[in-house]
Amino acid sequence: MEIILTVLASILFSTGIYNLLQKQLLRIIVGTVLISHGAHLFLLTMSQVKRGAPPLLVDDVSSYTDPLPQALILTAIVISFGVTSFLLVLAYRTYTLNKTDNMEEMRGSDYD
Amino acid sequence: MINLIYLPIVLPLLASVIAALLTKNTNITRLFSQITSVVFLIFVGGLAFYIFQNGTIVGQAGGWAAPYGISIVGDPLAILLVLTTNIIGTAAIFYAPKVLEEKQERFYFYALYFLLIAGVSGAFMTGDLFNLFVFFEVLLMASYGLIVLGNGKAQLRESFKYVLFNLFSSMLFIVSVAYIYAITGTVNLAHLAERIETVEQQGILTAVGMILFFVFAVKAAVFPLYYWLPNSYVVPNPVVSALFGALLTKVGIYSIIRVYTLIFVHETAITHSIFIWLAMFTMLFGVIGALSTHNVKLIVTYNIIPAVGFMLMGIGLYTPEAIAGSVYYLMHDMVIKGALFFLIGALVIAAGTKDLRQMSGVIQKYPLLGWIFFIASLILAGVPPFSGFIGKILLLEGGLRQEEFLLVIVALLSSLLILLSMMRIFVYGFWGELMDGLSNETKRIRQLTIPGVVLVGLAIFLGIGAELVYPQIESISNMLYERTDYISSVLKE
Amino acid sequence: MIFAIFAPLLLAFIIPLLSKWKYKVHTGWLILPIPFAIFLYFLQYVGADFQPQMVSVDWIPSLDIALSFHLDGLSLLFALLISGIGTLVVLYSIYYLNHKEQLGHFYTYLYIFMTAMLGVVLSDNVFGLYAFWEFTSISSFLLIGYWHHRERSRYGALKSMLITVFGGFSLLAGIILLSIVTGTTSIQGMVEQSDTIVNSEYFPFILIFLLLGAFTKSAQFPFHIWLPDAMEAPTPVSAYLHSATMVKAGIYLMARFSPILAGEPYVFIALSLFGLVTLTWGSYMAVRQTDLKGILAFSTISQLGMIMAMLGFGTKVALFAAVFHILNHATFKGSLFMIAGIVDHETGSRDIRKLGGLFTFMPISATLAIFGTFSMAGVPLPFLNGFYSKEMFFQASLDNTASGAIAETLVTIIPVLAVVGSIFTFIYSMYLFFNTFTGKSQVEELPKHPHEAPKMMLVPPFILVLGVLVIGLFPTIFNESLITHAADAVYGGEANKEIYFWHGLIPAFYMSIAVVVIGAIMYLTKSKWSGVYQVLPGRLSMNRVYDWMVEKSETASQRITNTYMTGSLRQYMVLLLTAITVIVAGVLIKTSGINFDMAETASITATEVIVTLLIASAAIATIFARNRIAIILIVGVVGYGLAILFVLYRAPDLALTQLIVETVTVTLFMLCFYHLPNLKKDTSSWFTKSTNIIISVAFGLLMMVIGISAYNSRSFDTIAQYFIDNTYKLGGGDNMVNVILVDFRGIDTLFEVAVLFGAALAIIGMIKLRRNKGAN
Repeated sequence: MEIILTVLASILFSTGIYNLLQKQLLRIIVGTVLISHGAHLFLLTMSQVKRGAPPLLVDDVSSYTDPLPQALILTAIVISFGVTSFLLVLAYRTYTLNKTDNMEEMRGSDYD
Repeated sequence: MINLIYLPIVLPLLASVIAALLTKNTNITRLFSQITSVVFLIFVGGLAFYIFQNGTIVGQAGGWAAPYGISIVGDPLAILLVLTTNIIGTAAIFYAPKVLEEKQERFYFYALYFLLIAGVSGAFMTGDLFNLFVFFEVLLMASYGLIVLGNGKAQLRESFKYVLFNLFSSMLFIVSVAYIYAITGTVNLAHLAERIETVEQQGILTAVGMILFFVFAVKAAVFPLYYWLPNSYVVPNPVVSALFGALLTKVGIYSIIRVYTLIFVHETAITHSIFIWLAMFTMLFGVIGALSTHNVKLIVTYNIIPAVGFMLMGIGLYTPEAIAGSVYYLMHDMVIKGALFFLIGALVIAAGTKDLRQMSGVIQKYPLLGWIFFIASLILAGVPPFSGFIGKILLLEGGLRQEEFLLVIVALLSSLLILLSMMRIFVYGFWGELMDGLSNETKRIRQLTIPGVVLVGLAIFLGIGAELVYPQIESISNMLYERTDYISSVLKE
Repeated sequence: MIFAIFAPLLLAFIIPLLSKWKYKVHTGWLILPIPFAIFLYFLQYVGADFQPQMVSVDWIPSLDIALSFHLDGLSLLFALLISGIGTLVVLYSIYYLNHKEQLGHFYTYLYIFMTAMLGVVLSDNVFGLYAFWEFTSISSFLLIGYWHHRERSRYGALKSMLITVFGGFSLLAGIILLSIVTGTTSIQGMVEQSDTIVNSEYFPFILIFLLLGAFTKSAQFPFHIWLPDAMEAPTPVSAYLHSATMVKAGIYLMARFSPILAGEPYVFIALSLFGLVTLTWGSYMAVRQTDLKGILAFSTISQLGMIMAMLGFGTKVALFAAVFHILNHATFKGSLFMIAGIVDHETGSRDIRKLGGLFTFMPISATLAIFGTFSMAGVPLPFLNGFYSKEMFFQASLDNTASGAIAETLVTIIPVLAVVGSIFTFIYSMYLFFNTFTGKSQVEELPKHPHEAPKMMLVPPFILVLGVLVIGLFPTIFNESLITHAADAVYGGEANKEIYFWHGLIPAFYMSIAVVVIGAIMYLTKSKWSGVYQVLPGRLSMNRVYDWMVEKSETASQRITNTYMTGSLRQYMVLLLTAITVIVAGVLIKTSGINFDMAETASITATEVIVTLLIASAAIATIFARNRIAIILIVGVVGYGLAILFVLYRAPDLALTQLIVETVTVTLFMLCFYHLPNLKKDTSSWFTKSTNIIISVAFGLLMMVIGISAYNSRSFDTIAQYFIDNTYKLGGGDNMVNVILVDFRGIDTLFEVAVLFGAALAIIGMIKLRRNKGAN
């Protein structure tokens, strides 16, 4: 199963990058969201899945899933959330100021 | 003593929160920030002195022993860089009120500044790979906030690109942590070093290490990954550019130094020779960029890149003296880049333009600014007896000992071209007939020059007084090269 | 001695303060005593029984960099020249520059130079030498650019700096190699190990690096081009830096290393060839100049070439003559520069076509100039020092022996070039004197009515001309007390040589006579053959090469930079991803890192596969989505799908967080994109599209291959067991993930919150600042 998940994470990366290479702000942000999903999935997959019980202590269970990656993913999810929200507002502001949502029209060499 | 090691990270965070709450009256925020950063500086100075005297201090956060908890490692290298960060930060805090609009100050410049310092210091001091990611995000988030401060049209346009590049490399960072965790089952740097040594960095680890290198290289602005840098450093306010130029890329370089002297050191024939090539191209293309423009701020910005090449050169050579050269150069470059950005900011305000072709004779009205800029340019080009020279001489010696003649020639050539790019500003901007439209705010320009003067003074000291500093750097580089000090201090074997 | 070296520098810091009173007393008077005192200080060492001295102060001992000064004959000669001519130049400048000039700047630069130059010739530590060396370049840059409102001054300043600093960096590489080979940073120490150096495999590199340093500084062909442009500096500077002292730093360097280098075939070839070409080319070009200082500049180039060539010959006679000529050249050339400055000062012009017949107006200057020019020309008269060294030069040019085809050819050409160069030297010397001071005067064409200079202004050139005569009349006094010691130091042993006026009818004497006769004829018929300059150099000039390079450095770098710094996010990303993919894939293959020996994997169930397929197809669907609401919902599917995976993989906390975050994110998306334009059809070219596909797929594949290999390369147990064991015992909780977050890895969480805090600040800043702007 881990192999399949790795493939899935890679697909998320590929599609994310493809979107990232587009011109429109919206697609680019969608790309970053997909990539971050892919990254989180990698973190989960790489530590093996379905080995033991959920990491909640129960008296008669001795084998648990590795809790550390879960903690790391949780932190990463929250951070990604913060960055994505910022990026959304930034995209909106960039659009209103530059009057375009096409990155190719925002090459620019003027510096205000 | 051990618990004090957290303070360089936690205190700025606290200060950031307080500064964010104190928005009603800008004067109070300003005063608070100035006092706080001076206090931090003194404190970090004391801490650094203690560490230099008594050796590495390791804080195991929450009392959880490594590798299970997060280690905060105050080794001499980390504390040296934290100290330099605070010096530049303090200079920036005194520079800021003169260049920022009151609104920009009110909308969290100071809070974001302290957050940046917390993130940078954390990145220097953490002994945990994933925690390094978290601190990267902290400093990046602060930098996002700072770069958009002011909301200019071009500013937002370039910020968007800046954020995307960093976002992408952060995601790659998470993936590398995942890979590394899969193979080694740990995220503590010292523990990683130990475990990877036992399996002799077999096959896949080198490739994963290279991904990690690229993650840092994007932030450090190594060829060919620095596209985001020039424009995004030009658009923000001068004080923000100074903080970025002095601190941000250096965190990337520091991480490369750390990881590639501590962990991935068993395949140097492959990895480190790639670095040498990249270093060469970084120097060349960076300096070519610096020659390609008439925008004075952009010239200085481009000059960040060849400096990164110099530091990478030392890592690539991987001998104790070359590493010492890189570390010396790192410290020197933080100081001098801060100074140059301060001075260029003052120049742009004085001349009222960034275009070199429209400037001339500025030195006639602002001699102090002109001369300090002149000296700073010499320091940047590595002219003796200033700070750039010491690092350069070590790097060149390292290169020649390894018979990397091409590398040495490229390094010297780019030093010359750096000098050309800077002297063009001096000769055409400062010299010549007095231009029209030169600012009359003599007092403000003087105030803007002072932080630059202080940092240039420090750079001169780092050169002339090298004997007071170099032995420390030498022992740092030996520690880095030997690796045992770091590993045993963290893992307490 | 150390104080003597640094005194000018210390004074340089005070000069800006002194110049405040410049309207009462000319700054020059206040600071004149210092170089004179230094001169007296060094004068005390002069004598037949001179012994080398050594003083040393630590500077950076851990890098073997010290301020160590070694005073031997060669250094003494230079130190005397620097301080002696320095004194005269300061005196001269008092009359040359008036109160209105920025005297503070001038003297500050000049005194920085004085220290730097003394440092160069006295340092024993190579890094010390290098540091002083760069400072001579920098102070020269500042002095050339002294009248920086002039475009030519700025051009000349930048040019001299680029060329000399280029040489300086090359010298740096050379001395680092030297110190690596010998393990010492002391020049004396290196001289002792000259065999080690010469036999080292690095020797060719050392030689090239050192030669580049010396040739650029001493204006050897083809690096000579900066010197004529350096004439934009005030004349005292030209007399001092650009004829008597700084330009001899390269000569000094070669002389200093002569005990190591002399006799090496490549050294012989390089120095003789470049030296003679410079001699000939410089004197040939000097004849063509119309600016007095231009003539003197090319003359200096040519004389430096002559000295360099003699150092290349490396024989006893040649080295002795080289040292002797350093002294002689400083005297006559210094005086000629000062006279040129006087002519300029008193007539307002340096254009030799406008000058003429000045003898009647300025008889003293003219008389002094006779001695200067005739000495320079090497006219065989017993009271002109220039003749002595010139004749030794001819003698030395005949004495060379060498083996190897190139060297042997060179040996036969040397005397020819020597004579040709000297003929032109004779011509321009005559041209310089007669066309300025004799002939028809054109007073009405000059900006000022010419008259004799103030008496004190004539004192410095007078003293130098006196030097010419005294050395010429009593060479033995100078020989025994000074020149012999210097020659010994260069030769690295006893280089005893007597100086005679009359050697008998030796070949060298015939050469001298030939020079005078042919030179005189050619001078008189100059207008007949001067058309030759149309052919050579014609349009050929190293200046054009330099200008081309500087201009190219700008345009080419613009072109290069503009090709890749396009501002296009997509292009940047494409380049970045390609670089990462290629290099990482390369490393992966090189280290045989791919590992498909399947490790143990978890079982595959239908639910999982369905969810996986759902996520994958949603991800792919984003590419084809044409509607902004649709794309947001599709992204939502990926996010929620992930939450389901988290549930399946026993991560309840994660699933919960993912659900909440996904919901909020989708809402935010909706809010923001309500204002953004709808998605458009991808109209980019077929090429762009396929590049995008290739790159994204390639990068994904790379991630996948590394992921699978990493998974299969598991080498250790994870540190997880510790958390399982201790969550309750030490952490006091049941939920391991929570305990890790708040306790084991509390710092992560604290700063994760800090990130959110920062994001909030940044967002508020972005929104609020805009409103205020709108209000304004």
